[in-house]
Amino acid sequence: MELIISLTINGLATGMLIFLLAAGVTLIFGLMDVLNFAHGGLFVWGAYTGIFAYAFTESFTIGIIIALLTGAILGFITEKLIITPVYGNHVQQILITLGLMIVLSECIKVVFGPNGIPVSVPPLLAGSWEVGNIIIIKYRIFIIVIGFIIYGLFHYILTRTKIGLIVRAGVMNKEMVQALGINIKRVFLYVFMFGAALAGLGGVLMAPYSGVIYAEMGMEYAILGFIVVVIGGMGSYSGTLLAAILVGLAGSFMAYYVPYLSLAVNMIIMVIVLVFRPQGLFTVAKG
Amino acid sequence: MKKQTLFTTSNVVLCMIAITLIIIPFVSDSRTMIILLTQIFIFGILAMSYDILLGYTGIVSFGHAMFFGIGAYSSAIILNLYESTMMIFILSIVFGMVLSAVLSFFVGLLTLRLKSHYYAMLTLAISGLLLVVAEKWRTITKGNDGFTFRAPEIFRDRMMFYLFVLACLIITFMFFKRFVSSPLGRVLIAVRENEQRTASLGYKTLHYKVIASVLAGVVASVAGSLYAVSLRFVNTSVMSMDITLDALLMTIIGGVGTLIGPLIGATVIEFAQHYLSGLARDYPIFERWIIIFGIIYILAVIFFPRGIAGTLGNKYAQWKMKRSEAKTSKTYSGLESSMVDKRGDLK
Repeated sequence: MELIISLTINGLATGMLIFLLAAGVTLIFGLMDVLNFAHGGLFVWGAYTGIFAYAFTESFTIGIIIALLTGAILGFITEKLIITPVYGNHVQQILITLGLMIVLSECIKVVFGPNGIPVSVPPLLAGSWEVGNIIIIKYRIFIIVIGFIIYGLFHYILTRTKIGLIVRAGVMNKEMVQALGINIKRVFLYVFMFGAALAGLGGVLMAPYSGVIYAEMGMEYAILGFIVVVIGGMGSYSGTLLAAILVGLAGSFMAYYVPYLSLAVNMIIMVIVLVFRPQGLFTVAKG
Repeated sequence: MKKQTLFTTSNVVLCMIAITLIIIPFVSDSRTMIILLTQIFIFGILAMSYDILLGYTGIVSFGHAMFFGIGAYSSAIILNLYESTMMIFILSIVFGMVLSAVLSFFVGLLTLRLKSHYYAMLTLAISGLLLVVAEKWRTITKGNDGFTFRAPEIFRDRMMFYLFVLACLIITFMFFKRFVSSPLGRVLIAVRENEQRTASLGYKTLHYKVIASVLAGVVASVAGSLYAVSLRFVNTSVMSMDITLDALLMTIIGGVGTLIGPLIGATVIEFAQHYLSGLARDYPIFERWIIIFGIIYILAVIFFPRGIAGTLGNKYAQWKMKRSEAKTSKTYSGLESSMVDKRGDLK
């Protein structure tokens, strides 16, 4: 029982981190029809700037804010310089965002050095609670809580506010929204920045969790993020959350019970989904 | 008629280049040059196979390294286990080709019926998985440390290997040239231009896209086999993202959909890598030469989506047209303009 609980907590924490990355990807895809392969680069930039700010100011909150800002600023630049010129051409979008990914992760090596940097958990969140025989690591709970808060915020913005309404309408039919006199390009930019900021947040939260940050981690987590997006269904944020939790749990349980399968398990889930429900597990078919 | 003559001119030029390349090892005895050229040929084969996907069919793959890696590992492992004769080497290439064909067939079947994003994502994910498998399956692959093996006797001589790779390159090039102008290749180009329309004309586009995917995978695997033998060493780097990026950069910078473009790209990038890594000893900024290429790549996608070969080809075609127009307008100016009018009407 203790084992199952601690594996579940592990899985949930990993799942939440993947969710933060994948939510941006799926939202941007749903609204703008752009698959952003550079998202992993924004993730790793968030991690590095956030951690350096944390090391400099010794306040993890400032680190998180810096990471969010970095994500948003990079998102702004990316949308303006990289995405706008190739709008509407899928092949070019895929190619160019991958190019940006390369540049972003190589720039990390130039600015912060090519070696991995060890990161420790901030003292307030370090340590663990003991409930009976179960050891619960505080930081993991913190990540899970943050993840649910972000999901709640996401849900609130999308269903309760005006901008959320526009975004949801834009996902369904952007020409119509444009025709109603709303500057959909501006909305695209906001959504892109928001998604990028979430990726930055995911990066800085990831850093103490994995204990080390390195330039290649962007690509590794981006792959997980894409798997989650495929499983959950592109463009559906609730599907993404469920899929992220599913992938996180499957990963943590498999790593314990069948270690040699743990690598392949995500892939197997994804292949099954692609064969039987290519539109994603949790999407309702659009009318 | 005009097209026919253009074709032969370019053929003559290509033949001359090929003959020069055959002669080079007999004339020059610079070992580095021979090795560098061998490397260029191998990556040229890889980049051409990538061009079949990206340039001719319009499919973006981010996992081309997996086929390259499969080829490299099958040759290395088989040559290591059995005696290293030419026969075994050929068999190992075939083995790698079969494996790649099976894998690319299933990957293609799974994702090519969906939007282009899925193929890019799935290939990225699967090649990531294979990289980890290669790292963890230490009994066979020796993990990240890799292992050395004996190349076939005849390839101990660098020159023989150079000629063998060059022969492979020429055969691949001629095969692809023939392939893209065959009815099958024409359908692939139609799929790239307008998939829905091709489907509505009665072609099973999935079928054709899977063929392109399998063909590209098989040829990439050959390139991998050659690469492993050229180094006589293999480790997980043959599966890494860098290989995919190399193929991508070469194809994009050289020019998509031209076949000659990827070869130009391979030459440019391999030479640049060679000299920039030489410069890196003095100027550390060049150690991160990939940034420069990344930026060039992004700019190329935005401003020169047709790459070096495509842009130059366009310029050449324009220049030719202008010249022929100037010529004809002198003599048949009236006739020509009436013809232009008619053509305009048709459009």
